[in-house]
Amino acid sequence: MNNRKRTGITATRLPNGLTVLLREMRQAPVVSVWCWYRVGSRDERPGITGISHWVEHMNFKGTKTIPKKDITRLIELAGGTWNGYTWLDVTTYLETVQSDALEGMLRLEASRMSECLYSKTEVDRERTVVISELQGGENDPRSYLEKEVSGTALQAHPYRWPTIGYLSDLQAITRDDLYAHYRQYYVPNNAILVITGDFATREAQKLVRRHFGRIPRGAEIPAVRTVEPRQEGERRLTLRRPSGASYLDVAFHAPAATDPDFAVMLVLDGVLAGGPTVNAWSGHHGRGPSKSSRLYKALIEGNLASDVSTSLLPTRHPYLYRIAATAKEGIEPGRIETALAGEIDRLARGDLPARDLERVVNQFQARHALESESTTDAAHQLGFFETVASHTIFLDLPRRVAAVRAEDVARVARARLRADGRTVGILLPAGPSEIQAASPSGGARA
Amino acid sequence: MSAVTSRAALENGLVVVARENRAAKSIAIRLVLEAGAAFDPPGKEGTAALAGDLLDRGAGSLTAEAIADYFDYLGVSFECGARRDTLEVGIRLLAQHLPGVLERLRILVAEPTFPEEELRREKGQVLTSIAERDQDTAAVAEMALAETIFPEGHPYRNPRLGTRASIESIERRDLAAFHRARIGPGGSVLCLAGDLDTRRAMDLVAGLFASWTGARVARAVIPEPPARTRAIVVSRPIDGKTQADIGLGFPGIRRRSPDLPALLVLNNILGEFALGGRLGKSIRDRAGLAYYVYSRFTAGIGAGPLAVRGGVAPQNVRKAIDLMRKTIEDLLRRGVTAAEMKDSKSALAASIPRRMETNPESASVLADAEFFGQGIDYPEKLPRLIREVTREQVEDAAERYLTLGRHVLVVAGPKLDKETP
Repeated sequence: MNNRKRTGITATRLPNGLTVLLREMRQAPVVSVWCWYRVGSRDERPGITGISHWVEHMNFKGTKTIPKKDITRLIELAGGTWNGYTWLDVTTYLETVQSDALEGMLRLEASRMSECLYSKTEVDRERTVVISELQGGENDPRSYLEKEVSGTALQAHPYRWPTIGYLSDLQAITRDDLYAHYRQYYVPNNAILVITGDFATREAQKLVRRHFGRIPRGAEIPAVRTVEPRQEGERRLTLRRPSGASYLDVAFHAPAATDPDFAVMLVLDGVLAGGPTVNAWSGHHGRGPSKSSRLYKALIEGNLASDVSTSLLPTRHPYLYRIAATAKEGIEPGRIETALAGEIDRLARGDLPARDLERVVNQFQARHALESESTTDAAHQLGFFETVASHTIFLDLPRRVAAVRAEDVARVARARLRADGRTVGILLPAGPSEIQAASPSGGARA
Repeated sequence: MSAVTSRAALENGLVVVARENRAAKSIAIRLVLEAGAAFDPPGKEGTAALAGDLLDRGAGSLTAEAIADYFDYLGVSFECGARRDTLEVGIRLLAQHLPGVLERLRILVAEPTFPEEELRREKGQVLTSIAERDQDTAAVAEMALAETIFPEGHPYRNPRLGTRASIESIERRDLAAFHRARIGPGGSVLCLAGDLDTRRAMDLVAGLFASWTGARVARAVIPEPPARTRAIVVSRPIDGKTQADIGLGFPGIRRRSPDLPALLVLNNILGEFALGGRLGKSIRDRAGLAYYVYSRFTAGIGAGPLAVRGGVAPQNVRKAIDLMRKTIEDLLRRGVTAAEMKDSKSALAASIPRRMETNPESASVLADAEFFGQGIDYPEKLPRLIREVTREQVEDAAERYLTLGRHVLVVAGPKLDKETP
């Protein structure tokens, strides 16, 4: 597993199955520790949707050896920042702290892996917090539309329900459901520990063995069996919600991170919107379309949309490539759809001059470097890819992206952005009289 | 840190700061101009934001397309945005592109052309964003706080995006006038951080920017908001929302206030430490009412608001407001504990190196410290200033700034029954 000389990364596995990725970075006296679990909303079923995300919340509520008040306190006393998130394939916890606090962070993550408390009182208090998170998300018409489009584009695969869960499930999930989910998935053989920053590899390995070595291996985790059947026909939905603008959200079926077409899709996305990113943590912050990109020219300079964004992220199973636009006042979303179809058609016809392709490759290479520059980002990227597939895919992406040719892009556009495989969602503003109470089956991004 | 950080003032008034960090082959640039929303001309609110949006849409002999193609082809990211006091440009690039990028930056800030066609389009985009903003409970709550804390005509009342009427009234000549008056070298700070030799970088900047003439902006005076004699409650109903945003606000402090370190500690104890300080403990952790609840203050040239914020379900608004008030009352009555002081001071002081880890972070922190007159060694001094804060100072700051009874309370979101707040 070890290839440290070339990559600067030491990859090992403890006897109990814990994968450990270490990368020394000496730019500042800080270390970033991320503990990843291969569990997310894909591991749920109707009745317990949202449970992985709720488990993440519960794992900040104290362990047998670390009282609740100390979990975040100890991190902040080390000058640190902390967070956690849950998505389709992953749940993760992070601490970026002064480097001399490394051992304390390892103790915390080892304890979180093996001995969280799950008191009934804490479960009940957190239920309303999670429901508040869901309701906050529903306030935003764009995330509401996105959720509805995902649930329409995917009809079989568990990626189809929102990570935050359905309200009815959040009202019904019990303490024992949560604890059982935690015990099943929080085992070393289902986890990846990543440390980046100012530390010595040998010393860190010793600390990792000390704190994680005795945690027993758990049962193997069942794989998701369902494969989304091929979509044979366009799907459309129109929603009416109170909102200040009309929105369009178009989803296509995207390749998984391990699919050779993933790099081609990144280039395709770069041609359409520019600056392709594979950083789900910080890469989308402030990412509008590049001003030389085709969607900027067609939709923004074309006076059709006030905002355009696209999203293609590495996932274990095939997920979605989405293009979202905010219609300018007085513009029917259908006009945006037509312009978008025109741009996709151009790609399918192979209209991709060499300079356009070079620009996208350059943009990707720059982003790939810039978006893993901080210890926090570097650890995120290694851990995210390792959890979804393998960190080597992340390291190899610049090469794979540079190898993409214009004809690859045309082929993938024809195969994956076909009209029969798309789902088109439109959200139109509703007046007060048309508003219904919030759907009890609603959800939102976690 | 100072060993690799240099500072120089050019004759035209531009202050240049350069910090060497060889850890990665990249550079971050931050240009800070005193041209934020506070300086929008009356009736033309949104001018600063529009000027920022259009800075890269035509300059000198460069067309919008040529500018975009240059940056995008090299993988350079360029952002420009208006804040309350400042207009700020942020650029990230691979180090080898520095000379060309700086050359473009100079043209963009010195000679923007604000083409009519671009302006027309951008105004349309902003009008859509305004319509969206006015349906966003958090944005409406923040605006209502500013509109209530600051009196008519106060610069901190200006909404960053402007209003429908103000945007419609802005013409090309308004942008040109704003540029002449506010976007110039004097009073501005250009900071570079990353894979560079500080002396060579300073020389490069001096060579390119010495000839930048134009506005010499003297630091503005922002008036203090008037002292209030009673509390004010503002309700901003927005139809069809599942959650309300609450803001409980007070006038805060200027960046140069000697109270700054004490207020940092007070804010950390009240609404920041661990998971939202005392507010988080009470409203999120114990009562389970909110996903987010916190306190925050923004200290600028003038005193920005100090506000407690939270998002809760409509039926919990009253309960959440009660708990916000109780938390503040309790702090005022019983003060802070020695343990809280120790925790918050340690956390704040220890966090400084992490906050400056990356090139964009250190460029931003240094440019900010220079712009607000704290000096580029401020990030080094701040841990000591925080450690010196006493319990008495924090309690005294609480007395003076958490003026319950003279506060502003806003609720934006679902219509509430009459007596709710």
